[in-house]
Amino acid sequence: MASVTPMLEITDAVMEVGGKTLKTCMQCGTCTGVCPWNLVKEFSPRLLIRLVSLGIEGYEEDSLWNCVTCATCVSRCPRQIDIIDVIRATRSVMLESGIVPPLYRVPLSSLRNEGNPWSSPRSERTDWSKNLEIPEFSEATEYLFFACCTHAYDARNKKVLKEVAGMLAKSGVSMGIIGTEESCCGDQAHKCGAFETYTGLQESNTELFAARGVKKIITTSPHCLNLFIKQYEGDFEVTHYTQQFARLIKEGKLTPSKPVPLKVAYHDPCYLGRHNNIYDEPRDVLRSIPGLEYIELPRSRDTSLCCGGGGGGIWSEVEVEKRFSVLRIREAKEAGAQVIATACPFCMIMLEDGLKAAGIDENEMRILDVGELLHESVE
Amino acid sequence: MSKEFPLREERIGFYICHCGINIAFKVRCHEVAEYIGTLPGVVISRDYLFMCSDPGQEIIEKDIRELNLTRVVVASCSPRMHEHTFRAACARAGLNPFRSFHHVCVREHVSWVTLDEDEATEKAKTLARAGVNRVRYQSDLFPKSFPVNPNTLVVGGGIAGMQAALDVAKAGYKVYLVERQATIGGHMLQYDKTFPTMDCAACIGTPKMVAVGQNPNIEILSLSEVEEISGFVGNFEVKVKRYARYVNAAKCTGCGECTKYCPISVPNEWDVGTQLRRAVYRPFPQAVPITFAIDKKDRGPCVQTCPAGTNVQGYVTLVREGKYKEAVKVILENLPLPGVLGRVCPAPCEKVCRRGEVDQPVSIRNLKRFAADHVDWETLEVPEIEKKPPEEKVAIVGSGPAGLSCAYFLARKGYHPTVFEAMSEIGGMLRAGIPDYRLPPEVLKREVNYMCRMGVEIKTNAPIGEGNTIDKLFSEGYKAVFLSTGAHKEFMLGVEGENAEGVLRGISFLRNVNFCVDGAIGNKAVVIGGGAVAMDVARVARRKGASDVHVYCLEKREEMPAWAEEIEATEAEGIKIHNSWGVKKIVTNGSKVAGIEFKRCVAVFDENKRFSPKYDDSESISDNCDTVLVAIGQRPDVSCINGTDGIELTRRGLISADPVTLQTGKPGVFAGGELYSGPSLVIEAIASGKEAAISIDRYIRGEDLIENRPQRPKGENWAPIPEGVQKAARAKMPELEPAQRVGSFVEVGTGFTEEQARTEAARCLSCGVCCECKQCVPACEAKAIEHDQIDKVVTLQVGSIIVATGFDVMDPTPMKEYGYGRLPNVLLNLEFERLSNATGPTSGKILLRDPNDKYQHTRPPKSVAFLHCIGSRDKNYHEYCSRTCCMYALKLAHLVKDKCGHDTEVYNFYIDMRCFGKGYEEFYRRIQDEGVRMIRGKAVEVTDKAEDPSEEGMLIVRAEDTLIGKMLRVPVEMVVLCTAMEPRPDAQEVARVFGLTLSGDGFFMEEHPKLEPVSTPTAGVFLAGACQGPKDIPDSVAQAKAAASEAQALSTLGEVIVPPMISHIDEDTCIGCQVCIGLCVYSAIEFDEFRKISVVNEAVCKGCGSCAAYCPSGAASIRHFTRKQIFGEIEGILAS
Repeated sequence: MASVTPMLEITDAVMEVGGKTLKTCMQCGTCTGVCPWNLVKEFSPRLLIRLVSLGIEGYEEDSLWNCVTCATCVSRCPRQIDIIDVIRATRSVMLESGIVPPLYRVPLSSLRNEGNPWSSPRSERTDWSKNLEIPEFSEATEYLFFACCTHAYDARNKKVLKEVAGMLAKSGVSMGIIGTEESCCGDQAHKCGAFETYTGLQESNTELFAARGVKKIITTSPHCLNLFIKQYEGDFEVTHYTQQFARLIKEGKLTPSKPVPLKVAYHDPCYLGRHNNIYDEPRDVLRSIPGLEYIELPRSRDTSLCCGGGGGGIWSEVEVEKRFSVLRIREAKEAGAQVIATACPFCMIMLEDGLKAAGIDENEMRILDVGELLHESVE
Repeated sequence: MSKEFPLREERIGFYICHCGINIAFKVRCHEVAEYIGTLPGVVISRDYLFMCSDPGQEIIEKDIRELNLTRVVVASCSPRMHEHTFRAACARAGLNPFRSFHHVCVREHVSWVTLDEDEATEKAKTLARAGVNRVRYQSDLFPKSFPVNPNTLVVGGGIAGMQAALDVAKAGYKVYLVERQATIGGHMLQYDKTFPTMDCAACIGTPKMVAVGQNPNIEILSLSEVEEISGFVGNFEVKVKRYARYVNAAKCTGCGECTKYCPISVPNEWDVGTQLRRAVYRPFPQAVPITFAIDKKDRGPCVQTCPAGTNVQGYVTLVREGKYKEAVKVILENLPLPGVLGRVCPAPCEKVCRRGEVDQPVSIRNLKRFAADHVDWETLEVPEIEKKPPEEKVAIVGSGPAGLSCAYFLARKGYHPTVFEAMSEIGGMLRAGIPDYRLPPEVLKREVNYMCRMGVEIKTNAPIGEGNTIDKLFSEGYKAVFLSTGAHKEFMLGVEGENAEGVLRGISFLRNVNFCVDGAIGNKAVVIGGGAVAMDVARVARRKGASDVHVYCLEKREEMPAWAEEIEATEAEGIKIHNSWGVKKIVTNGSKVAGIEFKRCVAVFDENKRFSPKYDDSESISDNCDTVLVAIGQRPDVSCINGTDGIELTRRGLISADPVTLQTGKPGVFAGGELYSGPSLVIEAIASGKEAAISIDRYIRGEDLIENRPQRPKGENWAPIPEGVQKAARAKMPELEPAQRVGSFVEVGTGFTEEQARTEAARCLSCGVCCECKQCVPACEAKAIEHDQIDKVVTLQVGSIIVATGFDVMDPTPMKEYGYGRLPNVLLNLEFERLSNATGPTSGKILLRDPNDKYQHTRPPKSVAFLHCIGSRDKNYHEYCSRTCCMYALKLAHLVKDKCGHDTEVYNFYIDMRCFGKGYEEFYRRIQDEGVRMIRGKAVEVTDKAEDPSEEGMLIVRAEDTLIGKMLRVPVEMVVLCTAMEPRPDAQEVARVFGLTLSGDGFFMEEHPKLEPVSTPTAGVFLAGACQGPKDIPDSVAQAKAAASEAQALSTLGEVIVPPMISHIDEDTCIGCQVCIGLCVYSAIEFDEFRKISVVNEAVCKGCGSCAAYCPSGAASIRHFTRKQIFGEIEGILAS
């Protein structure tokens, strides 16, 4: 067997940009054991950490770009290593050295040029809000309503966004939008390791929020929520719209009345659930809808199965049988659900795609946002 | 370099130590010495390689003598290391060590923690200058010594506690060994084998238990807990709570006959719930003490709620067992007339029954009836009663429930009660007021006859009152009189037409029907009233031929005083109930009733919930009828006191009596039942008769009526509601069809079938564990069972304390991924130990658990996986390594191979193997040699979801084999979780009691991790075993021996010296505000009531300074830390 020599400068480079906790790994394999990739193929975060910790070749291979940042490993790691941060830092070192996976190129360039990853013009960012009478954010409005790029540009998600924003406004939530000046929160750039791109977005948004006096933000994507809470500097209170809905229903300001006779399973978005421990509010909203039969999936709450869309996963190509979304849809079908409800634009895209890939007819199962179901019951 | 400084009278010597290079590698010691030498008062200043060495100390002694030094400052390591050394040197040279010496720390505080040499040197100079400035202000102090009590307390009877006790006892000192459980032994005795030698745990453990049990110097206090400690090292006073054992330890022979009769089964804690034990139990056959104990929690809520204190759990359990006669005897201990109460009691017990938290309350009343209906009352034995002389006779006036109850309990006590009944029939309202279809007269009769067999005499048609007065009863020789003539007088409406023919009074009507006197009734009857009597009256009217019966009452439906089930039964018989109507007038046709008019009642009660009906006269209705039955309440008939003075009435017209003793204003005359309480429940009347009997007994014997009267049971320490109780509906009383009922006085409820009754009784959750059925009492030949024992507190005097309270095994239930609690063959390590142990549920065979019954086991497993590090080495649970799991997992792996055959596949999923002890690595190799598969990777999941046919019915363990980098799925039949050793849940509270601290992991903290491994912050309290941290048996035993040696050292020396740096309260300055007393965590300050000042107990004070820091008058100070000394030091630091 040929020997290899550790290249500790690589380890140092990774730790320079984060991922310092990798030092305390005891190589127990819990991360690999719980990683959803091992349901469909081999992927060992443990091995990746080991290779990085000695700078030995192998870490840079495809598997590095597989991680969907679902945080299942993070939640179980006995040493509480921030494995996502290790992966992000390693990716960052790769990008720095000029190795960019082809699928990342277009969205990253769009992020730099248009402030969104969907190659859509910045000028169209607020098109969704036409006819909705949502004011511009100012001193007079309590919350900044921050619409995720995916909600704002993706046709399917745009429908969700309109209904969510409309209901919040009608329930008397004092909120406004900023408009085309705001940019993507930068979550995907951050998790892909595109450090410069991310920093540009973050700084532009932070300055904008400070200039406008933003104190409270309602996010539409759990990814924006997570980044604002954990990465942005600034003293603002951040909530997800499902939390707002749960509160409004509890306070009697929003009353679901029309029966929605559907069997609905809730799919926990990783960034709402495992990343931020928001498990109950979306369920509370669903349970408050008359006629709705709530189904709990076998993999739920902190053991929820990722849709596959986080950490750059939304841009990657995966064989049909290996898509988490397909597994998830089969799981929901077995549980007898007619609808999978979720509360994240990535989950929406991934699961709808999974529905088509799995060849399931729209009459058999639909993917709906928690907000859409509520909208149906409130109107 | 010495020089003279005659400016001050103090002559100071300064010495700085190089500590080899420990200090000198950062601090330029010579430079410091030179600088200090320039300060005023410093006569000599030196640096030296090792000041603590003998030559170093001699330098100091020599300088003191030759240069007449008065003060010495040494700058070196921490005072914790060598303060004592240098003080001793000063003392040897003739100085008071506290006055003359001060220690400055320049190692831990300077050289070890400062990077820059210049900075370090400057800091050392500053600290040394401060020390020199401080030492001038120190004064003479003299340590005190106190005698030591040679007794030792050992807390916890596990292997560490037993070993410590044996070692101390061996040295000839007395040991009290306090153990919470019923036996000593601890976890070690629960195990099967011990690693790495594979000694049988019992073979090496039971000799220790026996040795402890037989050692004349050791007194075992099992089933006991330390409640409180006071005093100080050498002189502790310990309060120990001794829980009642209910078995006399001196008499019990340990034969176990009692267990054959005990009807209660609960999971045995000793077997970690893998098998059941009785309420009377011994954890395992080799228990020490061998004595059985009864597991008796607080009496169930049913017992506590029953006004008569009936032992509900007792008779319900006996019904379940099919022991109906025994059940009736248990009832009769507290309650006469079980068949009667089993029909008419409103059963307050059922409202509080905890079964209701699972599904519905147990049908207690009906079970009582069932038991009473399944004995032959003619032949039922009366209890053996020691009869009192014939002149000890008591008169009871009225034969209702209160009177009969009083007579019954007096007869049980041996008195000769005579009941005087004014009516022709016995039973008071039970006989006269309750219709036969609810209470057949023969039931009352059989149970009254039973009382008569016990010695109750009853005279009917014998009214007491005018002519035949209470005084006359006394003159006839009755020692006491109990009045209980009930409430038979009826309220009337006071409306127009009330005296018309056809208007009947409810109770009179019922009495006439019951006594077959009359009871004729018209066709259409209207009943007025919403209570139980009104319902009875309506239903009786229906049976007596009224074809159309209507009930009108003031109350809304939900306000009606009648029970819901009675209202429903009434309606089922075709009777209509009209709510919220008050009678306006009765319409007459000549002298006869023709109809009735009502007005709307808008409110029955006023804002104070008092009866005060309000009407709306504008809304009224009328109804035709030929009979009106008025049942709107009763009031007492107090005519029995006519002709007798000294008995007073209340404002409500009731007999006035003491609420506790029931004695009236006239000595020897007592009153109870509705005559005293006003309308109430029959069970309350029974209870008042019982209380009166207690008073009368005391009165006749000349005892105080109140003192030491039996207390009602209370407390809520009940058995937890078992997990996984199957919901089961409450049994429904079979009844006659409504059609069969009308026109018949046959009892409506036909009684439970035997199967119904026993199934219903089995729904009881046995809240009190022991049900006090007392079946064990006659079974015990040694007469050792004492159900009346109570918890006691004993006080012990000891000089030292060894805490050896052990650990708990972590419960893995919250870690859902491993399926513990859901998958029957996922076991806890301790459960597996019990399986393998000869005294466990399978007598030592390793068998799979029956998925349908957790207490049954089937066949040996063909494959077993042991999962290491469950909850250990995991920051989400316990960050620490539990140190023992690798080794016991290997041991258990070996046991599987040994007991289930070497073809059994055994896997160990591990992260790192920690086989660090003597013979451990060799053991590891041996187990591998036996063919146990070692898989390096933490198991992440145990699932029963098969992915291919070979996995069907198996438990699949998933883990990454980190050595080959592949995910594994390993199907096995049994999984054992090697869970963490964790601190006891009450460690915090125990720490408070013993003055201990907890380390970050939650275990008790030793004083120093290396050099004081068994001492604690509280002098005289030592640690042993796993309460200080996870440990295996050899380590626990070694630590126990160390703790024992500390305790013996104290006892042998016979005295302790207490440092003099403690609080002092100046008696002239103290204003007696007592704030310091509350602040003192050691309870070292007491208030002198005479001088009105706070006084420090010098033996207890630890010198912490809380009092001195707060004291508003400045009276409290800490010796050696006076304001002058502290400010002197600070000035030294600031002066540069």
